[in-house]
Amino acid sequence: MNVIELRNVTKRFDEFVAVRDLSFEVRQGAIFGLLGPNGAGKTTTIRMIVNIFAPDEGEVVVMGEHVSPELQSRIGYLPEERGLYKKMKIGDQLLFFANLKGLKSAEASTRVDDWLDRLELSDWKNKKPSDLSKGMQQKIQFIASVIHDPDVLIFDEPFTGLDPVSANLLKSVILDLKKRGKTVIFSTHQMEQVEQICDDICLINHATRVLSGGLKEVKRRYGKNTVILDYEGPDSFLADDLVKRHNRFPNYSEILLADGADAQEVLKRALAAGARVNRFELVEPSLNEIFIETVTGKDLGAHAARVPNTE
Amino acid sequence: MNKVLIIIKREYLVRVRTRAFLISTIVTPLLMLALIIVPIFFATRGGGDRHVTVLDASGDAELFDAINRSLQARAGFGGESDRRDELLGQTRYTLTRRVVATSDDLEALKLEYQERAAKDPDSTYLVLRGDGLDNITPEYYAKNTSDFSIDTLERAINDAVSTLRLKRAGLNQSQIAAYTRRVNLKTNKITASGEVREGGRADFVVAFIMLFFIYISVLLYGMFVMRGVIEEKTSRIVEIVISSVKPAQMMLGKVIGIGLVGLTQIGLWALSAFLLTTVGVSSFSSRGVPMPSVPLSLLVYFVVFFVLGYFLFATLYALVGSTVSSEEEAQQAQMPVTMLLVVPMLIFNMIIANPTSSASVAVSMVPFFAPTLMMMRIAVVNPPLWQILGSIAIMLATILGCVWIAARIYRVGILMYGKRPSIAELGRWLRYS
Repeated sequence: MNVIELRNVTKRFDEFVAVRDLSFEVRQGAIFGLLGPNGAGKTTTIRMIVNIFAPDEGEVVVMGEHVSPELQSRIGYLPEERGLYKKMKIGDQLLFFANLKGLKSAEASTRVDDWLDRLELSDWKNKKPSDLSKGMQQKIQFIASVIHDPDVLIFDEPFTGLDPVSANLLKSVILDLKKRGKTVIFSTHQMEQVEQICDDICLINHATRVLSGGLKEVKRRYGKNTVILDYEGPDSFLADDLVKRHNRFPNYSEILLADGADAQEVLKRALAAGARVNRFELVEPSLNEIFIETVTGKDLGAHAARVPNTE
Repeated sequence: MNKVLIIIKREYLVRVRTRAFLISTIVTPLLMLALIIVPIFFATRGGGDRHVTVLDASGDAELFDAINRSLQARAGFGGESDRRDELLGQTRYTLTRRVVATSDDLEALKLEYQERAAKDPDSTYLVLRGDGLDNITPEYYAKNTSDFSIDTLERAINDAVSTLRLKRAGLNQSQIAAYTRRVNLKTNKITASGEVREGGRADFVVAFIMLFFIYISVLLYGMFVMRGVIEEKTSRIVEIVISSVKPAQMMLGKVIGIGLVGLTQIGLWALSAFLLTTVGVSSFSSRGVPMPSVPLSLLVYFVVFFVLGYFLFATLYALVGSTVSSEEEAQQAQMPVTMLLVVPMLIFNMIIANPTSSASVAVSMVPFFAPTLMMMRIAVVNPPLWQILGSIAIMLATILGCVWIAARIYRVGILMYGKRPSIAELGRWLRYS
């Protein structure tokens, strides 16, 4: 069952088309990655789902209904541009947001305490935002988006500015929400995080969809066209017609093969050049690689030319 | 509606609970009180004692006695003195007579006293020449001559001279008292409904206080609204809020919430003013200081015009706040709105001078001027009801229009950062779906 459906949605601001003829579905209980470079139209898309903007064309259907103020209370939204009231105590702010989402004060109060406890922020309940670190404020904003236990959650760059411990804590909370049947839309530029937690993805660029589907399926589409090579020695063999592009990391290189190139041939040439190979692995491209290739318009491989259409 | 209430509650509590609110609520009436009391205090007490040497070349001992008597009578509020003397005549004069014989050199004496007065501000002198009672031209010399109490001296001399003239014309003491009894002009105001009530100068005081009060409060609380909107923008809180409520609800909640803070404060001030007038100021009244009596209907109009004026301008300030990204930008952007509020303060003199002219009526019907100018006209002349209701209707219609426009600009503006939009862009924002 699809919890969110966008059908041929277009949104313009004057001459500028922010979103063009965009369609996608988000399955119930999935973590859906909405990806794209800056200015691709992600935020506008999300704002149409949470009823901040209305589409000019097409329709946005959430839980079987057109978006409406009533639906807003069943959605939790953590925007990328987020903040807190400077002069309000943390506990009061969270109560305020909970009330706005329709929670009665008594119920809201218990939940505020529970969530503060869960994210290890109970001591800060009566403090003002100026006393909190940026990461702590971020966790407070996260609580504001989940306090009313919504069925649909939208997180726009939830991990930026968090230390690894806090990021992991939040990640486990998000996975826990998924376990409880919540549907999550997750927007970020950090592809490793998408690989870790997303089930499905949709990549948009220049206001239109360029790639979508299940994460595993999308990667499979590109095939094993990437070599991970851990070696010591000269780099000269990388400048070769068999290598389309490579990323040299301190401990290894990620080598994207040219069309029809044989991975074994690359290995031979590396050895011939005098490199000592510690690891050689043929893998699917990373999502990061796919993202860059798709957005910059360069061909990743024979299969990528066909932009997949899930309809 | 419920969500608007939640916003109102937040806006209200977050402001009322601040120390700044507490302080301004307590300090402002004290300041106002000081502004009223201090001048009165100085006017009534300030003069203190003044010593006047009378260089009397008139050769008329009776004249000096008459002046002295007249002055002493005034100092105690007694007898025939008029109300202005009661208010201003608290300076106690002590006269010392220095008889100047015809053989003495008056000019040399004057010089001597002049030097003395130059050193000592309390030393003053009065010259009476020997011109006879009919042509008498007294001269007063003092370091400070801009003092209101000099009026008292002049009146005292006048009274003394005329009393003396009458006496010498053959009238006795009681006849003189009867014939020179002062007449006080009683001013009466005819209201729109044809009633007659006591009025006059006090009405202008009330009108001016109300005009000024509406101007200051609308400006102050309008600015609070604008700053509130900017704070929500710069702290990036807006998007979280408008994923729960409509931007228009958010704006309305803020305007109403802050307006209630304003009413609370004004209410507290009115209460303290009431207490102060019943307890404290009544003592001024009993001493002849004209205390305006404010009819209840005027207070009701005051609240109505404050609320309407606040709504009108707060909406515009919210609009301005939504289109800027910082307080600095706001300083420029709010100018046109503030001008609408300032213009009445520049022209109210012309209105108060001629409150019933057709120009005055027309200007006071302009929705942005009505909160101040129509209010002032109501306090001064009781304009026909159709004008009052008409201006209220025009204001209501304008408020509706402004709320509509502001809400549409606001919902786009609060999510826009960076460059300030041009007028043309604002026009296009109105049409966004």
